[in-house]
Amino acid sequence: MAEGVDKAREEFFSEAQELVESLSRNLLALDAAVRAKTEDPGLVNEAFRAVHTLKGLAGLFGAKRVGTLSHRLEDVLDSLRLGRLPLTESVLDLLFRAVELYGDALSVERARSDDPLPAIDALIDEFAHLGSEGPSGTSPLAKFELDQAMLAVLTEYEEHRLKTCVQQGLLLYRVRVDFALATIDRALEDIKARAKTHGEVITYLPTGASTGIDTIELDLLLASASSLAELEASLASNGAIIEPIRLRRVEATSARSAPSLGPSAPPTPSPPAPLPAHSLSERAPDAVEPNAAAHRAIAQTVRVDIRKLDALMNVVGELAIVKNALARMSERIRAEGGRQLGSELHSIQRSFERRLGEMQNGILEVRMVPLGQVFDRLARVVRQIGREMGKDIRLVITGAETEIDKLIVEELSDPLMHVVRNAIDHGIEVAEERLRVGKPLAGTIALNAFQKGNHVVIEVEDDGHGIDETALVDRAVVLGMVDPEEVAQLARSEIFNLVFLPGLSTKKEASDYSGRGVGMDVVKTNISKLGGVIDLHSEAEIGTKLTITLPVTLAIVSALLVRIVGRVFAMPLTSVAEAITLDEKQVRMLDGREVMTLRGVTLPICRLGRIFGLAPLPGVVPPKRQYVVVATLGSRRLGFAVDDLQGQQDIVIKPLGKSLSGVRGFSGATELGDQRVALVLDPAALIEEMLRGSETARERRLGYG
Amino acid sequence: MRAFVRSALESGSDLGEVDVVEASGGFDALRLLPRGPYDLVITDINMPDINGLELIQFIRTNEHHRSTPILLISTQSSERDRKRALSLGADGYVAKPFTPEDLRSRVKAQLEKGRTSARGNG
Amino acid sequence: MADVAKAGHSLLARRMPGSQQSGLREFLSFRLGADVYAVELARIREIVSSPPVTEVPRSPSDIVGICSVRGLLVTVVDLRQRLGLLVSPPTKLSRILLANTDSGEVVGLLVDEVRHVVRLASTEIEVTGSVLGADLSDHVLGVGRPEGDFVVLLDLASMVET
Repeated sequence: MAEGVDKAREEFFSEAQELVESLSRNLLALDAAVRAKTEDPGLVNEAFRAVHTLKGLAGLFGAKRVGTLSHRLEDVLDSLRLGRLPLTESVLDLLFRAVELYGDALSVERARSDDPLPAIDALIDEFAHLGSEGPSGTSPLAKFELDQAMLAVLTEYEEHRLKTCVQQGLLLYRVRVDFALATIDRALEDIKARAKTHGEVITYLPTGASTGIDTIELDLLLASASSLAELEASLASNGAIIEPIRLRRVEATSARSAPSLGPSAPPTPSPPAPLPAHSLSERAPDAVEPNAAAHRAIAQTVRVDIRKLDALMNVVGELAIVKNALARMSERIRAEGGRQLGSELHSIQRSFERRLGEMQNGILEVRMVPLGQVFDRLARVVRQIGREMGKDIRLVITGAETEIDKLIVEELSDPLMHVVRNAIDHGIEVAEERLRVGKPLAGTIALNAFQKGNHVVIEVEDDGHGIDETALVDRAVVLGMVDPEEVAQLARSEIFNLVFLPGLSTKKEASDYSGRGVGMDVVKTNISKLGGVIDLHSEAEIGTKLTITLPVTLAIVSALLVRIVGRVFAMPLTSVAEAITLDEKQVRMLDGREVMTLRGVTLPICRLGRIFGLAPLPGVVPPKRQYVVVATLGSRRLGFAVDDLQGQQDIVIKPLGKSLSGVRGFSGATELGDQRVALVLDPAALIEEMLRGSETARERRLGYG
Repeated sequence: MRAFVRSALESGSDLGEVDVVEASGGFDALRLLPRGPYDLVITDINMPDINGLELIQFIRTNEHHRSTPILLISTQSSERDRKRALSLGADGYVAKPFTPEDLRSRVKAQLEKGRTSARGNG
Repeated sequence: MADVAKAGHSLLARRMPGSQQSGLREFLSFRLGADVYAVELARIREIVSSPPVTEVPRSPSDIVGICSVRGLLVTVVDLRQRLGLLVSPPTKLSRILLANTDSGEVVGLLVDEVRHVVRLASTEIEVTGSVLGADLSDHVLGVGRPEGDFVVLLDLASMVET
């Protein structure tokens, strides 16, 4: 069935994508480690495994380019983990490039194109030029009295790790623990976590000693700089018996003396005598090594096709309709005299409503993903651009665990990348300049995210030279976007908002954005398509801060239903400040726009019926009295004139299809029941449109444009 | 890989009915061993924590399982590790790439050879 | 031939087994105005009749609006308008064909009447060029004459890509 194959293909892409993302996170952590001059061999190993899996997947699905790239990358990572290749910044650069290329290779595969990707061959060439070092001379392990039996069961990789640790001057210990088979997983994680704080566990060796049917005894070979006393104090609660592995005495010649494993036991090839069994404490340690916890978390997650979630949401939507029908029924029963029956039905309906609400929230939560996903991608971009521009950038991320709807996250990475690119390119000064004004050499970019009520706020801040307000205003005047007489009256916030007008860039040289130049106006459009707003604030010489406010989820919102020329529309309540009756006598013209005064403040009015070109419906009488729904977005306000208010309702917003992508003013549509569909208004877009429209009108009046 | 091995073993008619028990790693294998006896153990070498070599040694020194045939499927391991596995008592290894038929015929051959005698140093 | 246009409710078209192998292509034919057109059967997932369609203000004129089919939001395109034909008000026989597009969107095609499945060998499809007039030829795959009918075969992909 063609359907089955397509599904498998989709799963391949989804799994491959995840693997590439996890590889990218790995590399970022490796990068940090290299810079801090520490080592984490586990990371190289993880990267190796991820690439190996990718290679296998690519082979299964005939994704040749992904396969070739993975194959070479695997070789490089293997050399790295076996110590045959040193991990340097330039090697990391190549690895990061490989991650980018994966993205390209996957899109090319997705498009079913056969085009070769010469970039992959180029990268492979560069990989080939990386030298590989041979192993060093005499084994450093000779300095310890290590049991041959133990060495014999170390894999090549483990042996390499052992040598490296010994070369770094670490001591070796054998940590023997008895585990109950039933609880071995937890107990193991526990002791692993503790042991890792002292050094590196090379391997775990079952001693084979029979301490009981349901127990098993393991020896951990630990390389550590800690003293025996410290280790005993730390691991005693796990019931561990710790023996240091003795240094080989210089006098000992070819004949080996007592083996160092086991307390003065005679040399024997068989496993040492069993030690007293200790039950393992089940209490989890306070400081669990983050890696262990992270591995746990990953194993407990499930990949979900977002379409399945949409389907579930649909069912919830249908149930909501049932709930409403129930409510009406119970009212009818009560009205028609069945008080008792009606009350009972009513309470059943209420509890149904509660459960439904819980389910709704539950599904919504599943759609939520942490922003960290996007932030990770940004971290890569920051590193890359920083190196491209020769600027040292320090990226500080907080609030990565803040969650937002998966669909929004997908759309966020482009605008955010853009903002960050801008900050590095135009904001952060070159090194000499920074030194001159007394700033630290490395520029800082801070990404922060937090939840605020029904919204998520993302802040991008840099400590660059800020925005030159005068230059900005001048340019805006030159482009005819601001009336020179009004310059003096512009509030600072209005000046900053000029940045979001198309064509406004105050960089003196040509920016590196080729073609039509992607500017901040596109970022703003993208953000408002998601139902959000973007604000900018800057201080000269200090820095610039961009604040993006987004709804937590597009999926379900409380909405106000309104009737406009006989048709029903929905407006998300988050944007509604209030709804008042419209007194036509209060409406007057100002600058070509209809306005009214609301509690002393001027409120522009928008007649949606007119804007939408809605023809009156046959048989529908125009209302005697209209309403004004006051919508706000940030500091902007607009009053929408509507015929009638139809009450509040929780709705599920579904996006309009591609064929309707050119239509402005709607964030989607929702089903109201009985298959009837209502369009959902996008107040942000409408406010934008109205205000821009009036600007154009004003310009025309004044002779510009 | 485990899924591939499982499906290879369970498909085709040459092996007949097989009961495949999967272990997620060295520790899991240790935990599952008491549920034996098993007719065959198939293992990789590079596994986190308890590696394949340690597992083979453990099996060969355990009185209940010491004669269980062990087949190695080496994926990322080196020549040196494979040789060690054999000297520690693995009965053979299936080199990659292999088809499901390859695997089944190796498994069949090993099962027919029956229980192996305990080898390797403990 | 399978008759798919039963009045009233949605149906999935049934395919005759074996026809794909013999190199025959299957199309679903329908009437627009006085003429018969057809699109590839494989793309049509369902046929619905008279769901409530909500107009979308400021949308292109050949888009009738949106409707919901069991929770799925569908954009309904007036095929007659899109092809530049005369438009008449919908009748009891009008139907909306739900079609899968390459982009994954499900689009509804408003037609005057649904007819039946037509099978044509590739050799029986005449590729006409400009015979039918400028507006149309962009979207036309060719013309077929099953049993004496004259059926214009439309390229769904080109018609629904914006």
